[in-house]
This record gives sequence, structure tokens and C-alpha cells, in this order.
Amino acid sequence: MIELEMINVTLGYDHHTVMEDITFKASPGEMVGLIGPNGSGKSTIIRALSHLIRRKSGVITVGGRDIEKIKRQELACLVGVVPQLPILPSTFTAFEIVLMGRNPHMGLFEAESQRDFEIARQAMSRTSTEKLANRHVNELSGGEIQCLLIARVLVQETEAILLDEPTANLDIGRQEDILNLIKKLCRENNLTVLAAIHDLNLAAQYCDRLILIHNGRIQANGTPAEVITNANIKEVYGAENCVYTHPVNGLPTVLLSALKKKAT
Amino acid sequence: MPRKNKSTEQTAGYLSRRRVRIISLLGLCAALLIIIAIAASVGSVPIPLGTTASILVDKLPFVDLTPTWDAAIATIILDIRLPRVILAGLVGAALAIAGATYQGLFRNPLADPYLIGVAQGASLGAVIGFLLPAAWNLTGMGVIPMFAFIGAVVATVVVYLLSRVGKTLPVTTLILAGVALSALLGSIVSYLVISSGNKLHSIIFWMMGSFSGSVWSEVLMVLPYIAVGIAVIVIFARLLNVMQLDEEQAQQLGVNVENFKIILLAAATLITAASVSFVGTIGFVGIIIPHAVRLIWGADHRFLLPLSILVGAVFMILTDLVSRTVLAPTEIPIGVITAICGAPFFLYLLRRRKKAIF
Repeated sequence: MIELEMINVTLGYDHHTVMEDITFKASPGEMVGLIGPNGSGKSTIIRALSHLIRRKSGVITVGGRDIEKIKRQELACLVGVVPQLPILPSTFTAFEIVLMGRNPHMGLFEAESQRDFEIARQAMSRTSTEKLANRHVNELSGGEIQCLLIARVLVQETEAILLDEPTANLDIGRQEDILNLIKKLCRENNLTVLAAIHDLNLAAQYCDRLILIHNGRIQANGTPAEVITNANIKEVYGAENCVYTHPVNGLPTVLLSALKKKAT
Repeated sequence: MPRKNKSTEQTAGYLSRRRVRIISLLGLCAALLIIIAIAASVGSVPIPLGTTASILVDKLPFVDLTPTWDAAIATIILDIRLPRVILAGLVGAALAIAGATYQGLFRNPLADPYLIGVAQGASLGAVIGFLLPAAWNLTGMGVIPMFAFIGAVVATVVVYLLSRVGKTLPVTTLILAGVALSALLGSIVSYLVISSGNKLHSIIFWMMGSFSGSVWSEVLMVLPYIAVGIAVIVIFARLLNVMQLDEEQAQQLGVNVENFKIILLAAATLITAASVSFVGTIGFVGIIIPHAVRLIWGADHRFLLPLSILVGAVFMILTDLVSRTVLAPTEIPIGVITAICGAPFFLYLLRRRKKAIF
């Protein structure tokens, strides 16, 4: 069980700063959603927490340890990432791609054991991808690849999972399946889950806590009801009076109406 | 005894493909030994295959056959033909695995062992060696291989230093720097070649590659580089698979990408430089063999690399055999043969398999 934490972190590329003064914590058993407009820096936070980019200042910790002091292979055993729909090498089969999730757990001279095969098989059946196992990945759809990447992160057996737009390419049925699965894992295995989610309604339905990012800063951090308010949505997205209460579960829901947004 | 096996269709498919690859590896090992024997038998003095085999087997440790053959025949096999066959095998293996490594590292199907300046560096070194007065030939290994090796290593180090950005080595920058430096060195080589006068013929012949006149001392000089380089690359085969995703995913799956790139580049460059120094810049093998292997057996580097080694060795020994026998006693430069024999076969493979090849 590990906590992910950022304290007063500044992030950026080369000479320009993308995010400033970022402070938040994600705890085991909690599903945290990162929301915000395009280019607000959701992916940058995920990249920083998987140590693809280095912070410019501040402190990033994984399980209380400075991320810069953790070796890559060890970090990959602690934190798994589902990247935003990458192009996968076409010459590998789906099973081989999923099996690559075992890489951080294997020594240089090791080959996959029966146990590794079994872990991969289970992950594929949990994500309903077992039928794809022997297909080459260039034959798969975006949604199938998304599920495959989630299977891969399960195979990685990490204590924290970062997801970058995990549902962007899925139909609503699959969106539900995948988010339900992630939430179940989060609860049952006490995983720390941080997901960048574009769709505000999905984020509100599934996450315990939302972090709203705007212009490289944290605009709001709290329960869905605290974060998805008319005031915040107007400030960040420019849409007015579009937050309603979901008729069944009482969670905030964003509904746009063509009549409300002024044509400019 | 049948093992208790819970594996379903998914693992079954994976495991059966792996079984095919293991059987192919063993088959190719056997084929390599047979082809070494055949290649040693064929030549201006034809020697029966049985005799050749006995002479070779006799040389194995703990085996002692009573000689039924002429001592002169044994000398032809062991001191004249065998070093040449072995050197060809080594160089074929080295170029094939170096090509597979560069293609995997750069995730680029056009990559070959000469992409980042090795060939042009070696050529410039060799040409300088040819143009120097003969009195310079002081070292035991001969001035040409030494200069070629230095040229190859210096050229890649320069490319490497030019492409470093901070602590990272962007692959695209590396390729572009390699292509640009190769063009620069190539033009210097061209100028030196046309102004080389009576040495023109030997320079051109060197650049097209040849195994003619190979001796054991050359084999022994090349062997350590190739053996160490191959060992290093094969150890990292699984990580090379993960690298096929992309560098970010590889990092997220625990690969220290920057260190990994430097280690593999160094190993692949060293084995290429060592091979090229003694036999010239033989083209085609390094790019086509890994593709052919990938087409037939798939992209898992744990099999792609060893299979490339074996196929590369077999292919090079066969092409060298063709180059010294077809127009005997004249030798055709091996670079010509590799393309004439290899290209149609590769095009056939390409047509037969219509799936993605990289």
C-alpha cells in the first residue's frame, strides 16, 4: 500500500513551465480523478508520477520515498501506467504485449514462469480480452487495445495505478466495465488509483475525489459535489449553469444546453 | 509423462509458437555445422565430404581418430579453408545480430549496422591505410584493419557525442547525425579513392568486402569482440522486446532506457567495427537477415537474435562459397553475391507473407 504525493511541485519541459505549485495526495483504496480542459496538464502529472519527466522544484514521493531515489525497475513494481492510446508494435500478439507487464518483476536472466503465464491469463479474462490473445495488435481496435493495456497494468501487480484517459476510446458499455473493474481493484486490493478523465460525468460517477486543473494550477480538490459546481465549471470551461443533480445517485452531472452558451 | 497443464488457448498458442522457434534454433545449429563441413570440402582441390568431416571431428577435444587422410589434405582444410569459413560465419552472425539490434533499438525497419557511421568511418580509415607508405605496416595485425577499426569507432563516437541532448540520446537525432556524418565521410572517401592512382583497384575490392586470404590470427582477433558483443546483446533480449513499445512505456515497465541504449549501441557498434575492419563493408546481410528471420519466426528478440546469428552465419558462409567457386579462380566480391542471392529470396518472403513485417 503506497501513497503518492506532490508538494509544491513545479513541472515543465526545457525552459517553459507547465504546472506550478501542485500539492496533492492520493491514498490507498481511494480513486482520484484528474479533470481539466485539454492541455491543462493532466498528462503531465501522470508523466511526473511515473518519472518520465523530472520535477523542476518541490517534492514528489511514492510511498513516502523521493521518486528520484527509486530505481526504474523498482518504481515499475510500485506504480503502473496505462498510457493514452499508444501505437503498439504490430509484430507482437496481444498475449505477448500483456506478458510484457511482468518485465519489472523479472531478473535479466529470467524467463516467464508458469505463474507469469497464469497471471497474464487471469488479467486477460478480467478485462474480457482473452479472445484476442493470439491476434496481432495491428488488427485490434482502439477500444480493444485500451482493454489490453489495462490487462497489462494488472499483470504488473503494482500498488498504484495511473491511467491517462482510460475510457477515451470505449463505448459506454465498455467504459462502465473498465471503470467498475478499476474501482473494484482499488477497493479490494487497496490500490492507489489516479486517473486523468476527460468526461466530467464519468469522473463524477466513479471517483471518490476529483482534482480540477486549470492553467497549470489546481483549481479545486475534493469530492465530486465539491468540485463540480456551477462556479468551477464556468471558471474553467466557460459553460454556464450546466451542473445538475443525477436523478438516481444524487451526484453532480454536467449537461450542456445549446441555448445557454452565448454565441461569440 | 504429461505435465499437469492448466494453460488454455491463449498460453497454448504462445507456447506452441515458442516450441517451433526452439526446434528451429536446434535445426539451424545442425545446419550450420553441416554447411561448415560442406564449405570446407569445396574448392580448387575437391575433398570428399566424409574426409572433411573426419578431419574436423578429429580436431574436437577428447576425439582421436586414426588418420586415413593425407597430411596435405588436412592442411588445406584446417589452415586454408576453415579459417575463411569460420571468419565468414562470424562476420555473418555479427552483422545480422548488429542489424537486428539497431532495428530494434531504433524501432526502424531501415536501420542496418552501418546506419550511424560505422561503414564510412571504417572506409575512411582503410583508405588512409591504403594510401600510407608501406613502411607504416609495423603492427602485427596489418595497417588496414587497424585503421578501419579506429575509423569506425571514432565515427560512431562522434555521432554519439553530436546527438546527446543533456542526459538523453534521442534516436531520431542519432540517425540523422549518423546519416549526415556518413555523407561527409563518404565524400572524403570518394575523393581519396579517385586520387589514389594505382591503389584504386585494391581499395574498391576492400570496400566491397572479401574473405580471401583469411587466416586464424584474424579469426582470433575478431572473435573476442564478436563473442562479448553478442553475449551482451543476447542478455538484454527481453528488454529489447519491451523497447518495441516505445521509450516511455519501456520506462514505465522498468527499463532504464538511456543506459540500455548506450550499452546496446556500444556492443552492436563494436562487433560491426571488428567485422568490417577485416573483411570490408559487406552490405545487405545486416538489414535483410533480421527481417527474414522476423518474417518467418516473429519479433520476440529472445529468438530473433539467436536465429539471426545462425541464419547470418549460414548465409555468409554460403555466399562466400559462391563467391570463390562460381568464377574460380577469380573471386567475385562478396558484397555482390550477398545482394544477388539474398534479394530475390527476401522479395519472395515479402510477397508470400502479406502481414505487417515490422
